Amino acid sequence: MTDSAIVTEKLTRRFGSLTAVDGVDLTVAAGQFFGFLGPNGAGKSTTIKMLTGLLAPTSGRATLLGLDFATNPVEVKRQIGVVPEGMGLFERLTGAEYLEFVGRMYGLDRPTTRRRSEELLDFMQLADRPKSLIADYSHGMQKKLALAAAVIHGPRILFLDEPFEGVDALAAGALKALLGRMTERGVTIFLTSHVLEIVERLCSHVGIIAKGRLVAQGSLEELRAGIAGEEGSKTTLEQIFLSIVGQDGSQRPNLEELSWLM
Amino acid sequence: MADVMHIPGLWEQVRLVAGLRRRILVNNLRRKHNQWDLIGLILVGAFGAFLVIGVAIAVYFGAYTFMSGGREEWIALLFWGIFLFWQLFPVFTAGFGAGFEFRTLLRFPFNLRAFYLIGLAYGLADFAALAGMCWLLALTLGATVANPGLLPTALIVCALFLLMNLTLERLIGSWLERILARRRTREIFFALFILLVVSVQLISPLLQRYGRTAQPWVRQVLPYLAVFPPSLAGRAVAGAAHIHPSDTLLGEAGVLLYVLVFSAFLWMRFATEYRGEELSETAAPARAVLRPVSRVAEQSDALRLLGPQVAAVVRKEFRYLTRNSFAFFLLVMPLVLVLVFSTQFAGKHPTAIKHPPSIDLFFPGMMGYLILILMSPAYNCFAFDGKGIQAYFMSPLSFREVFLGKNLMQAAICLFELALSMVAFFYVVGRPSLPVLFATFAAVIFAISGQLTIANWSSLNFPRKLNFGQMRGQRQSGMAALVSLGAQVLMAGISAPILFLSRWTGNPWLPVEVFAFLAAAAAVGYASSLDPLAALAEKKKETLIEALSK
Repeated sequence: MTDSAIVTEKLTRRFGSLTAVDGVDLTVAAGQFFGFLGPNGAGKSTTIKMLTGLLAPTSGRATLLGLDFATNPVEVKRQIGVVPEGMGLFERLTGAEYLEFVGRMYGLDRPTTRRRSEELLDFMQLADRPKSLIADYSHGMQKKLALAAAVIHGPRILFLDEPFEGVDALAAGALKALLGRMTERGVTIFLTSHVLEIVERLCSHVGIIAKGRLVAQGSLEELRAGIAGEEGSKTTLEQIFLSIVGQDGSQRPNLEELSWLM
Repeated sequence: MADVMHIPGLWEQVRLVAGLRRRILVNNLRRKHNQWDLIGLILVGAFGAFLVIGVAIAVYFGAYTFMSGGREEWIALLFWGIFLFWQLFPVFTAGFGAGFEFRTLLRFPFNLRAFYLIGLAYGLADFAALAGMCWLLALTLGATVANPGLLPTALIVCALFLLMNLTLERLIGSWLERILARRRTREIFFALFILLVVSVQLISPLLQRYGRTAQPWVRQVLPYLAVFPPSLAGRAVAGAAHIHPSDTLLGEAGVLLYVLVFSAFLWMRFATEYRGEELSETAAPARAVLRPVSRVAEQSDALRLLGPQVAAVVRKEFRYLTRNSFAFFLLVMPLVLVLVFSTQFAGKHPTAIKHPPSIDLFFPGMMGYLILILMSPAYNCFAFDGKGIQAYFMSPLSFREVFLGKNLMQAAICLFELALSMVAFFYVVGRPSLPVLFATFAAVIFAISGQLTIANWSSLNFPRKLNFGQMRGQRQSGMAALVSLGAQVLMAGISAPILFLSRWTGNPWLPVEVFAFLAAAAAVGYASSLDPLAALAEKKKETLIEALSK
């Protein structure tokens, strides 16, 4: 479990004059359930896009399972599964057709793809509308399908950008159990979410990014230990997050301005 | 208690809604890369003004001529023209998709009466309504100048006619909004619309052939039009000119009755909307049922000769084609065009010209024109992929596989359509000489493979997202269209002199040999372009994803 699954060195991405990700040095060990947190616009999705080949870094490098993304993009992509920000679905296919398409794109043979597709659709409770197009799915159903597509080839690293957004509690519970089992089997999961309770419950390690810079990284215990005072061991992830991200006060809204509402 | 001091008055609300629409328009024009929209808007505005003023002058002189020339009943023709434009133009520009939704205003504190009146006022802001009002004014002026005594009647009739058109247009618009809210009905409607547009091409040849025999049938139908609002309005004005008060009253009462009926229906529609109407596209999920594992997997794969990734892209492209009513129904276009052009410009008795060109000249020209139509989607081949474009970049493959899959599908469609069109051509016009037939076959392969290379490059450099079953805002990328046109002109420029080689040299098989060589060269060029294009796709992926994921 000490081998690194994801390593970034000075990973940077600029959009014109805006530096969205600024020299991020990140290490995620194999089999870790890693939560990547940050306020809106902090650079989470940009980092995930660079780690999954959807965006080229301006400078720095990313290594996944010991393979440099810049030199081995196809081999890296074979090992990872992704639920990107916009889900990346072909909305005019049915769920089964889409999974078959993705399975074949990852090089699975047709019988395997069909079998896994059926099992995943059943697991995600999407099997009851075989003729519905993805365009007619609800947001939560699309999310579940994107998750199914991300795991159909049995990836060794799974990148999930807000995976539980819009997913009902029943499906979310089953998904969390599935993801837990995957990490037990050595799969590394890299997850972003705004719901800190979910991250706290699922993730063993956390990285926090703010204004494009990685401001904290470590296990939950290590982050708690970093909080000063005797209360450190009882500190919730939300308190850790607020104390790290909002420590300069710039992130905290001024409630006095809304006095007419209170 | 909310801090609402007072509910704004009706006119204040109308002003606010008008301001909102103006703001949306201005903000759309301020968006990045939208300078062309502004130029387009100015051109469309100038064209619209020209159209409205030009037709208004024609309506004025028409009304004046009818009233002063003793043909008062003919004024109904002007009412019919205005009526058809007012009702049909908004349907054609409805866009078959969601635009600014009037019903979104329902979350504000309006009562039903205000909602209804704002809905009507909203209808008055349409181009068709503004144009219709201008033309009604021109009609009133023309009739009154010819016969000043007509002014009161013309004013009343035109006011009633305006109200009738306004309520009917809003009623149709409201129903259209309901119908087009669902994807499936929207696509069916869109397909019917395309078929209608295509079938308009057949009017001229049909009239040429059956015009005289259809005249008695048309005469039988005409009296039934008298009960419709434009005829009634014309009858009222003509009655006033003839000093037949009964005709005037009957005509006015008829139009008024239509106003009342349409208003009542519109009130009911708006009341339904006001109470809250579900237009959601998503059906409620059914209870999950475990299904047996399908046995399809054991069947042989029809695309087994292709690599799995290329086969996956081909399958996906085929499914997209069958679900894109616009693209699917456009496949009938080549056949329709062959029939239309053949009856007009070829055969023993062409309807449009006296001396038809020879089959050997007409056949390659026809095929070239069809290639022009069939190949145009290839120049923006990711248009309908939308956010799915990310799936290509997340998958462990080279983009050459994606191009291969897409191009195979495109070439297959082209060849299938051309084969069908050739059969139709041979049936209607006849078969060209063998050298010309084979030269055309080779030229088709040359044109398709040559264009695919350029089209792939264009798709990467000038991507633009298009939505299924939607017309509003569905413009191709301007540069992609230009590249497409340039490539087609280049191909035609190369091909035309080669076809004439046989005449100049006296060797009928020479064009076949030249085109065969060019086809082979174009195929080799295409194959060798795939790797550089895959590298270019990697470089352009951010632009592609951004443009297609909007």
